[in-house]
Amino acid sequence: MSVLSIMIFLPIATALILFIARININTVKIIYMIVTFVVMYLAIGLYMDFDPNASMQLVEFHPWIAEYGIAYHIGVDGVSLGIVMMNAIIMPLVAIALYKQRDKHGYWINLLFVQGGIMGAVLSLDLMLFYLFWEVMLLPIFFMIGLFGYGRNHFITMKFNMYTIFGSLMMLIAILYIAVQYKEQFGTYSFDLYDLKNTTLNTTESLLVFSGFMIAFAIKIPIFPFHTWLSDTYRSAPIGAVIVMSALMAKLGAYAIWRFLFTLLNETSHEVAPYFISIGLFGLIYFGISAMSQIHLKRMFALSSASHLSLIVVGFFIYDVYGLVGSSYLIVSHAVSSAALFLMVGMMYERTKSHYLDVLGGIASVAPRFAVFFAFFALSIVGVPLTGGFVAEVLIVLGAFDYNIGVGFITATTILIAMLFMFKMISQVLYGKVTEATKNFEDLRIHELVALVPLALLVLAMGIFPNYFIKKIEPTAKSYTVEKGMNTHE
Amino acid sequence: MSNELIALAVPALLLFSAIFILLFGFSSHYTKNRGYFITLATLFITFFISASAMNELHSIKILPQYFNSMIVYDTFSATFITLFLLGGFLTLAIAKSFIDKTNFFTHEAFVLFLFSLFGMVILTMANELLTAFISLEIASMSVYILVGLNRDSLKASEAFFKYLLLGSFAASFYLLGMMLIYAQAKSTNLDVIAEYILTTDLKAQLLIIAGGMLIMITIMFKIAAVPFGAWVLDVYEGASLPITAYMAGVFKIAVFAFALRVFLHDYISFEAIYDPLIIFGALVTMVIGSILAVIQSSIKKMLAASSVVHSGYILIAFASIGGATSNASSAIIFYLFAYFISAIGAFGVLSYISKGSDKLINFDDLDGLGKDRPIIAASLTIFLLSLAGFPSTIGFIGKFYIFTSAIESGYTFLAIFGAITAFISIYYYFKVIVHMYFKESAHLDIHYGYKVSLAFIAISAIIVVWGGIGTSLLLDIPGINALNDLSKFSIESLGL
Repeated sequence: MSVLSIMIFLPIATALILFIARININTVKIIYMIVTFVVMYLAIGLYMDFDPNASMQLVEFHPWIAEYGIAYHIGVDGVSLGIVMMNAIIMPLVAIALYKQRDKHGYWINLLFVQGGIMGAVLSLDLMLFYLFWEVMLLPIFFMIGLFGYGRNHFITMKFNMYTIFGSLMMLIAILYIAVQYKEQFGTYSFDLYDLKNTTLNTTESLLVFSGFMIAFAIKIPIFPFHTWLSDTYRSAPIGAVIVMSALMAKLGAYAIWRFLFTLLNETSHEVAPYFISIGLFGLIYFGISAMSQIHLKRMFALSSASHLSLIVVGFFIYDVYGLVGSSYLIVSHAVSSAALFLMVGMMYERTKSHYLDVLGGIASVAPRFAVFFAFFALSIVGVPLTGGFVAEVLIVLGAFDYNIGVGFITATTILIAMLFMFKMISQVLYGKVTEATKNFEDLRIHELVALVPLALLVLAMGIFPNYFIKKIEPTAKSYTVEKGMNTHE
Repeated sequence: MSNELIALAVPALLLFSAIFILLFGFSSHYTKNRGYFITLATLFITFFISASAMNELHSIKILPQYFNSMIVYDTFSATFITLFLLGGFLTLAIAKSFIDKTNFFTHEAFVLFLFSLFGMVILTMANELLTAFISLEIASMSVYILVGLNRDSLKASEAFFKYLLLGSFAASFYLLGMMLIYAQAKSTNLDVIAEYILTTDLKAQLLIIAGGMLIMITIMFKIAAVPFGAWVLDVYEGASLPITAYMAGVFKIAVFAFALRVFLHDYISFEAIYDPLIIFGALVTMVIGSILAVIQSSIKKMLAASSVVHSGYILIAFASIGGATSNASSAIIFYLFAYFISAIGAFGVLSYISKGSDKLINFDDLDGLGKDRPIIAASLTIFLLSLAGFPSTIGFIGKFYIFTSAIESGYTFLAIFGAITAFISIYYYFKVIVHMYFKESAHLDIHYGYKVSLAFIAISAIIVVWGGIGTSLLLDIPGINALNDLSKFSIESLGL
């Protein structure tokens, strides 16, 4: 069993044991901490040992359903490494920040479960295995929103669930279709990514298969026009689930486009790329403007997240090594910033019992440390220099200019849209008038600082020493782009 | 034990035990518990006897000099017989508290239960249409009465009459169809008919085609496919819960087994004629079944309606059998495994928590079950996820096989249709989960009866999960691959 398998199954197995054992909540929290720290420790070890020049590594392969050629096939490369690291780092920090507030078994058990599920989905190289984890990681979120959510959470969790499963089922049919075609061409069944990419499909078939996959990914990310579940779900979800959804699951959708669609249907993806670039750019603006008009903080950040994810999609679809590296980098830096920002929104709600902009105000004068961190993370989302987001956005813009000067221009200008609502939000929440709700606002406690400081340092490190991180991603991206005949800027 | 001996021992034991309880029931030594445990022990013993014949590929005619090769015992029948016995055992084992608390499970109930199993056992072994009809009627008659067991309940009496009248009417189509086939092929033996079909010009076989369609009507009636399944909601609702579980989980599978044998053995040459009918049946069944399932407010009726949808999925696979290399027939068997264990489990949980009360279990009655009874709630969740085809359960693998075989045979639209139906099913299955976990507890402190029954529920739930992820990498217990091999063997043994 390799370190990757341990990272997948240790959280899942622990979650199952905790579910059956029904032990004291404090013990559950301690076990949660231990397990997530073990995973983090393993992930950091993995990062250190990761050899940037070998593309796919730590590959593990065991036949699973022999007759259909389905295998337990996992491995990690430069692009998936980012999400693995984020998954491993964010989960324990969430617990540190929230451990006092959440006294329900289900909360922690579900978080452990979802960590394993996401890890599995990121690392799978077999389509059925991927589908399994992709679906399974939905369940904990479904339960978290239903059990611990706010507002009309039963309705909303059902809507979210059905929306996502619809996409997944379309993807399932697409997977089966491509596998059957593979069987007709090569004589045996296989669901392995590297086998299936040899399948030849005609134009109509590949377009349909592409749409099957794309519906699933587009809903999960979400890109326009599949976003209608988004703002309600984020609003109703408890903070732990929101962090998982925005920092990890949405990124996974974008990553899956790259990993599966670009590998399996490279030509088709190339052909439809202009449409998705336009949808992405439109989404970037549309979600940005929608975010501006929100007065509910979680909804605003949900839309802001969607706006950045559209940018990540654009970065992938411009088919350029800068775009690919930039998007992979943005996946990581946005995950860190948005996780931290949502954590702080959760803290704010705990203190003021409100998510509404007009109820909050003047926090800077009451709680200066909180204000510093909040402003810092909000600005890092916008992508001000010295933060990781800046590096990523510059790379994507460079790639976009290379793709087409018009696209580059639009990308460069619309990135600034995030500034509008972020500055408005900061001025209202941090510097507005002190209100009834915020006048006794308690400043950051020690354990909250312990959770936020590493994230802040990570954001800074990613902004100041990007090379240290990019060198792990770049060789993968280069070899990939060479293979696909893309612009490598050599 | 030789296979011939097993083939004789299982029905003989069932019959012997049934007659014994019938007589013992009038003795003053009889108590309900004794009748119950005799039945359970019979099922337990026959299950193990039958299971020993599953692994190898075999096909023998039983005592041809006496039975005129009417009965055939092959891996196919061995597999299904084992499944029925397991199903009967689980149904009764889970329903212990239900049976204790109600007064209508007299000794006749156990006798009828065993008789119906006897009928199904013979049905899967029948190699001849008349034998099949008689055994089907033995099973059906027993089930009719089991449905109407609760004489005090108007609903049960209504269900009994409805089922009896419609069922007898539907059975007459079978007789007519058999007559037409006999008129042309001059035999009711499946081997002879198969030979006749192969050696005669296909265009000159109108009577056989027509007869086959009439038999199909009866089969569609028994599996509750639309448009012949109008009885299903009322009958499943009226019957007491263990009986509903038994009908949905076991009886339906017996009919499917028979249909599969006749179709693969004889009618495969007419595939082009039957396919449009089956496809139409599958589409209508899935649509109507889904609509019915969505609008129900009682979980029992919802599960009843959803069992109609599952018949639709299996019909998809029937339509896909055509392609010579296709895996569709073994996909059907695998799906039946999956449906069997999930349906028995889901209905079993309902019968376990209703403890004999006559009232329907509505969605609201399950409110807060997740907090009060975590193990039952988790098991029911697993069964429902499996019925909905959620990955990591056996139901997903079943759907995966069926959709793959549909695409392989060129019916991609059926697979997409199936996926959309599965999507709708998410709604009504997850509704139960929402009620169990997210709503505030509605009921007072309830004692749920026997721990042993609970253990069987939990074991079934574990089987469902193991059937969805099971692999020899983790534990050396037969998993997905073993079940797959078993269904392959069963299909192969039909050709021997």
